[in-house]
Amino acid sequence: MELFLPFLVALLIAVGVYLVLSRVLIRLIIGLSMISYGANLSILLAGAGVRQEAPPLLDVAGPYNDPLPQALILTAIVIGFGTTALLLVLSVRAYQVTRTDHVQELAEQPDPVEPPVVYADPERPSVSPEVGPGRRRP
Amino acid sequence: MNLLAWPILLPLVAGAVLILVPRPRARTAVSVSASLSVLAVSLAIGVRAFGGEVLVAQMADWPAPFGISLVADRLAAMMLVLSSATGLLTVLFAGSSLQHPPRRGQGPLLNRAREAFGAQSLLQFLFMGVNMSLLSGDLFNLFVAFEVMLVASYGLLLLGGELPQLREGFKYVVVNLIASAIFVIAAGLAYGLFGSLNMADIAVRLAEHGPDQRITLVALLLALVFAIKAALFPFGFWLPDSYPVPPAATSAFFAGLLTKVGAYALIRSFTLMFPQEELIHTVILVLAGLTILLGGFGAIARRRWRHVLAFANIAGIGYLTVGAFAGTSASLSAALYYLAHSVLVVFALFLVAALAERIAGPDYRIEGHLARYPWLGVGYFVAAMALAGVPPTSGFVGKYSLISALIGAGGDLRLWIAGGAVVTSFLLLYAGMQIWQRFFWGESDAVHQVRLPRPMVAVTATALVLVIGLAALSGPAFEFAQKTAAQLSDGRQYIEAVLEPRGRLLEVE
Repeated sequence: MELFLPFLVALLIAVGVYLVLSRVLIRLIIGLSMISYGANLSILLAGAGVRQEAPPLLDVAGPYNDPLPQALILTAIVIGFGTTALLLVLSVRAYQVTRTDHVQELAEQPDPVEPPVVYADPERPSVSPEVGPGRRRP
Repeated sequence: MNLLAWPILLPLVAGAVLILVPRPRARTAVSVSASLSVLAVSLAIGVRAFGGEVLVAQMADWPAPFGISLVADRLAAMMLVLSSATGLLTVLFAGSSLQHPPRRGQGPLLNRAREAFGAQSLLQFLFMGVNMSLLSGDLFNLFVAFEVMLVASYGLLLLGGELPQLREGFKYVVVNLIASAIFVIAAGLAYGLFGSLNMADIAVRLAEHGPDQRITLVALLLALVFAIKAALFPFGFWLPDSYPVPPAATSAFFAGLLTKVGAYALIRSFTLMFPQEELIHTVILVLAGLTILLGGFGAIARRRWRHVLAFANIAGIGYLTVGAFAGTSASLSAALYYLAHSVLVVFALFLVAALAERIAGPDYRIEGHLARYPWLGVGYFVAAMALAGVPPTSGFVGKYSLISALIGAGGDLRLWIAGGAVVTSFLLLYAGMQIWQRFFWGESDAVHQVRLPRPMVAVTATALVLVIGLAALSGPAFEFAQKTAAQLSDGRQYIEAVLEPRGRLLEVE
C-alpha cells in the first residue's frame, strides 16, 4: 500500500495539472480539486512514517499510527470544499456576464469603457456631482 | 484570557456580528469599534514586545510542540501594530466611501450594495486572518491563517461582480489555490520529516540535524509558496492587474499590508527555521533583485494611478526582501525599517489615488487639479517623494541604509542588486512625476469642484501624517529595527520562549 500510494499521488497531481492547463473553466476547477486531493493524500503518506508507541492520552500497547496527519487532512478538506464552492459560483457568474467559459476569452475581456467626462460650462464649475454637469451617455 | 488571542477573536466576533447588523451606520460603528479595540490590544502587545519580551500563548494550555502556539516577538508585534492601524483607517475609509456615491451611473448603487452585502464583515475576517498569520508559531496554523485571509480577500476582490473583478478575481483565486495546495504538501512533508509543526521545535531539530537535501526540498516548497503570496518575480504576475479592481479602501489594504504578510512569512521561516539553507537564501536574493527592477519598469509603463502604484508596491516588496536575504544584520534592520515605510507609504498613496479617482474618474484625463485641490497635491507630493526615496523622507532613510548595507556586505551580486535598487528609485521618481504632470500640473479650466466626504479626507490625512511621522521619528524607528533584526538573527530567545513550558512540564514529571 505504501508503495502504491505515492504513484496515486503523482497520478492525481498529474491529472490535476493537465486539467488546469486546459482552457475550459469547469475542467480547470476539477483539476484544482484533483491537485488538492493529491496534496491531502501526500500528507497521509508523509505522516505514515511517524509511528508512536501509544496514543497520546491512553496507556495502551503500541505501535499506533499518528492521528495528527488525519486531523490536518480534515482541515485541508474543509478549506478545499469551501474554496471549490466559491470557485464554482465565480465561474457561473463569469459565464453569465461574459457568455464564455473559455479561459483565454475571459482573460482578454476588455474593461468597460468609461465615457469621457464633459463639462457644460468650464467657466462655472459645479459644486457637487449630484447637481453638476453629468457624463455624456454613449 | 491571554492577550495574544484578542487580535484574532475580536475581528472574528465583529465579522460574525456585522452580518446581523441591519443599518449601514451601525455597521460602520461596530466595525470601527472592533478595529479600535484591536489597535489598543496590539499597542499593548507592542509595548511589551518592544521592551524585549517574547509573548507566547499556548492554545488550550497544551504545552508547546503538541498544541498550537501564538507568538509575538518584535517583528510580529511591529506588523501587528501596522496591520491594526491601517486596518482601522481602512474600515473608516470604507465606511465613508461605500456610502457616498463617487459619481453618477452605476457606482453609487453598486457601492451601497457592496456595503450591504458584507464588505465590512469581510474586512474584519481579513484582519482576523492577517493577525493570525502574524502571530502563528505553528506551520499548519499558518496555513489555516493564510486560508482565512485569502478567502476573505477573494470575497472582497469579487464583491460587486463587475467584469474586471470577475476577470482578475478568477486569476487571483486560481493562483492562490495552487499556492495553497503546495503549502499543504510542504506542511505534510515537514511533519513527516521533522515530526513537528511547531516552528520553534522545527528550528531546534534542524539545528541539531545539520544539512540534508530533504530539508532543502521542504524549504524550497515553502519559499515558493511565500514567494507567490509576496508576489516576488516571476510569481507576481497576478498582482498588478488584480489589486486595482476592488473598491479603493480594499485595494489600499491589499497593497499596503496583504502582500507584506507573504514577505513576513518568508522572513520568519527563513530566519527561524532555515537560516542554514544558503543556496535558497541566494536564490531568493536574486529573485528579489529582479522584483525591484520589474516594479520600477512596470511603474513607468502604466498610465492609471492604481496600476502604477501596484507596480511600485512590487518594487517595495523587492527592496525589503533583498534586505532581509542579503545576509548581514545591517541589511536586515534596513529591510525591517523599509517594511514599515512601505506599508505606510503605499497605503497612503492608494488612499490619495482613491480621492483623485473620485474627482476625475478612473482615467484621470484632466490636468490642472493643483489649483483646486492644493492639499491633495501636497499630500501626493510628500508620499510620492517618500516612495521614490528623496531626502528627507522615510524612503530615503530606508533606501540609503539598505543600499549602503548591500555595498558593505560585498560581493558582485550584491553590488549589482544595489545598482538595480538605485536605478529603480529613479524610475519610481519618474513614475511619480508623470502622475504629477498629468493630474496636478497644467491649466485648471476644465476642473470642476467635487465635494469630497470629510471622513475620507481625514483618513487620508492621517495616513499621510503616519508617513511623515515615520520620517520624523526615523532615529528611534531605525534603532527599533536594529533591535528587531538582532532578535531575528539570534533565534534562541524566540525558541526558549516557546519551548520553555515543555521544560517545566518535564521537570514536574
